[in-house]
Amino acid sequence: MRNRLITLMLAAVFMLGLAAEAASQSLIVYTSMKESLIGRIRDGFIKKYPDIKMDYQSAGAGKLMAKIAAEHESGKILADVLWTSEVPDFYKMKEEGKLEKYVSQATKDPNYLNPFNDYDGHFAAARLGTLGIAYNTKSIKNPPRAWDDLFTPPYKNAFGIANPALSGTAYMSVALLEKQFGWGFFDKLAANKARIGKGSGQVVDDTASGELAASLAVDYIANDKIAKGAPLALVYPPEMLIAPSPVAIIKNATNMESAKKFVDYLLSKEAQTLIAEEGTLPARDDVSMPSKYGLPQPSEALKRSIKINYPEMMAKKESTVKKFVDTLQKK
Amino acid sequence: MSASRKSGFGAAHFILGLSIAILVIVVAVPVLLIFLNAFWANGKFNLTDVVAVLSEQETYQALLNSVFIASGTTIGSTIVGTFFAWLVTRTDLPFKKFMRGMFLVPFMLPSFIGALAWKMLLSPRAGYINRFFMDTFGLEEPVFNIYSYLGIMAVEVMYLFPFVFIQVCGALERMDPTLEESARISGAGLFTITRKITIPLVLPSILSGSLLIMLYSMAHFGTVAVLGIENGIYNIPTLIYERIHESAGSFASIRTGTVLASVLVVSAAFIIWLQGKVLGRGRYQIIAGKSFRPVELKLRALRWPLLIFCLAYIGFTIVLPTVVIFLVGGLKTYGLPFTPENLSLDNYKFILFEYQITKDAIFNSVTLGLSAAFITMFAGVMISYVIVKMKVRGKGILEFLGMLPFSVPGSVIALGVILAWSGKYGVNLYNTVWIILVAYIARYMAFSLKANSAALEQVHDSLMEAARACGATMWQTLRDIVLPLVRPGMLAAFFLIFLPSLRELTVSIMLYAPTTRTVGVAIYTLNEDGETVVSAALAGVALVLIITGQTVINRVSARYQRG
Repeated sequence: MRNRLITLMLAAVFMLGLAAEAASQSLIVYTSMKESLIGRIRDGFIKKYPDIKMDYQSAGAGKLMAKIAAEHESGKILADVLWTSEVPDFYKMKEEGKLEKYVSQATKDPNYLNPFNDYDGHFAAARLGTLGIAYNTKSIKNPPRAWDDLFTPPYKNAFGIANPALSGTAYMSVALLEKQFGWGFFDKLAANKARIGKGSGQVVDDTASGELAASLAVDYIANDKIAKGAPLALVYPPEMLIAPSPVAIIKNATNMESAKKFVDYLLSKEAQTLIAEEGTLPARDDVSMPSKYGLPQPSEALKRSIKINYPEMMAKKESTVKKFVDTLQKK
Repeated sequence: MSASRKSGFGAAHFILGLSIAILVIVVAVPVLLIFLNAFWANGKFNLTDVVAVLSEQETYQALLNSVFIASGTTIGSTIVGTFFAWLVTRTDLPFKKFMRGMFLVPFMLPSFIGALAWKMLLSPRAGYINRFFMDTFGLEEPVFNIYSYLGIMAVEVMYLFPFVFIQVCGALERMDPTLEESARISGAGLFTITRKITIPLVLPSILSGSLLIMLYSMAHFGTVAVLGIENGIYNIPTLIYERIHESAGSFASIRTGTVLASVLVVSAAFIIWLQGKVLGRGRYQIIAGKSFRPVELKLRALRWPLLIFCLAYIGFTIVLPTVVIFLVGGLKTYGLPFTPENLSLDNYKFILFEYQITKDAIFNSVTLGLSAAFITMFAGVMISYVIVKMKVRGKGILEFLGMLPFSVPGSVIALGVILAWSGKYGVNLYNTVWIILVAYIARYMAFSLKANSAALEQVHDSLMEAARACGATMWQTLRDIVLPLVRPGMLAAFFLIFLPSLRELTVSIMLYAPTTRTVGVAIYTLNEDGETVVSAALAGVALVLIITGQTVINRVSARYQRG
């Protein structure tokens, strides 16, 4: 009996070793996209290329970057492809020479929408994520129409923005809103007691529960919950917030050929249609948006969006986050 | 004869060396690196930087918060724990034995899961309890806002008070009741007896339990992370976490972390020192091992009301949160009412069979727990053996090193292993499952040392001397005499490590990588990502795992004691 117990434990220790060793030979994608989205993309990709074994790791962009940094330190980055929503990370990696240049044929298609005016093949937008106002349909009877509506009584002490220190899209939206409306926008939000939440998904769940009346929400996170029956609706004021999710190939990736095929596939009409079906904005205009999401056609959304200089925004991150937290928490 | 003596001598030194090496590598080096990085910049001693970090408004506030929350939690837990301990040992409360068991249940409930449940119940606008009162009585303001200092302390008290409860129960039971009786015969009233006899006698136990809580709460991550961050309430571990997260592990943030961690280590050392002082003074012979039957206070008319109060307390702090976790885990999406059409087992099926992240997390936690428990159990028995039984030169170092694991909080260990094992010194374990294993071994070594040295102290030296006299070598003596006798201690150590590591959060949250989430990390990050229902379902599964494990252990150890 005791021997068996010991054997079992040894087996467990051994298995732990195997778990740490397991590495696929074919294609590894690091992504911050949620399970529902990346899962469908993988299924589509595997169907098209049955001989490629694709694996992905899904986690917050910050965690993935820390992992890449550690892997780089030890000599070899395991990821072949990186696909997150942290645009500044891609500029930084390009500067450090960690990205492979690859101009996919798909980017030359007239239907492809490119939000980066300095596009040179190091990374390409694979999704034009949008952020709108998600509101609780039980507590808000008149849907908000403009950003100014958030300064009114129904949103007093009940509008939430995810913590920009934790969420890349939250930082992006804070930077965009500041660019368009100036810092006064946040002073007014603070006067109406807007709140800082944790992750960008959590503010949406807090809105669904009624803890918040409304929140700044990432499109497909909100749409996923709406589809499951949460008492939520998502609306877009005229000035749209777009947070592109770039895809890039890591320099000297082990599986270079599969990585290129994956980028081609991700930018193709087929994969972009899957993205649209998940309730987020694709980077191609020849994909028609399902009407239930209330999203405009990608080209129109891009026209309505607030433009920003990404490298400049990247440099200001720390001070902006601090100022934002201080403003909303009145320090 | 002389040859065998020589080999015994060599073996002793080998064991001593190995023991010291293990403790140095696993515990001492990480802690040393923290101090080194905090006080040493660019190759020289640097105090101004440390002062600069500490006087930053955020870090200073986090320090104050850690102390404030820990103090409140300690005072609250002491009152609650002492009161219930008195009730189940010294009064004629009905079903005392059962209630005593019930008051130990909070120990099993990880406090961050409790915090998640209380958030669902008492968040200001949507918490189920607040909603209920606001809707029923038309209140404008919530009954209680859990996102506050008071809320955090209340939740920590609910799940930490058993530390005091267990200590005080033990002391009250072992206390000689004739002391109280003689006071009564001499004409002292109940109040005087309590004040002059009972309280002074159990005070050392109360204090040692309280200090344990203080130590735990100061370095505790989960509850403050779940309930505090939204209102800008940070303590030291949550601030370290956010700083490191924000900058994807940059050195500046780690440095801030090391300064904060040094403060934690120093305060922990102070608390341990204080505890030693209190206990040293409080070893009254009067609390002896003899089993006198203390006089029970007649509660009279209060008997049943107090029982109902106790049951209500358990219902409110244990049953209600657990039920909420399971119910929310069954919802299609958060925010729907609990009606049959909204509830299903789909989330549970999803996390157990489909969702890679949660499947990985369960696998990681179970294998990490088993491996850490297994390794730490053996290392612990060896080190305790040297400390308790062997007479070799250099033992003093080991005794000092053996004290270290007791005084190093989890978040400090996490930071220390990052510094030690991220490639700077040749080995890079960062972002692998191994770094969590190393951290677990360091964190739980204290448990193993405690259980094993207690078991070893009961093995009389004469048994070993007899074996040696009959010509057995040292290894034979160990194998045939010592190990069989300390097996219960080893088994205790194994489970003392395995169970807590199943729900560990404070250490693994700092160390996890995309594929090395533990159950605690998965619950926390899924909740942060707004997967409230999925994280609740996983929390439910974790509770089932922990409670089953605990029950099995109780059965097994009961059988062991019966022989």
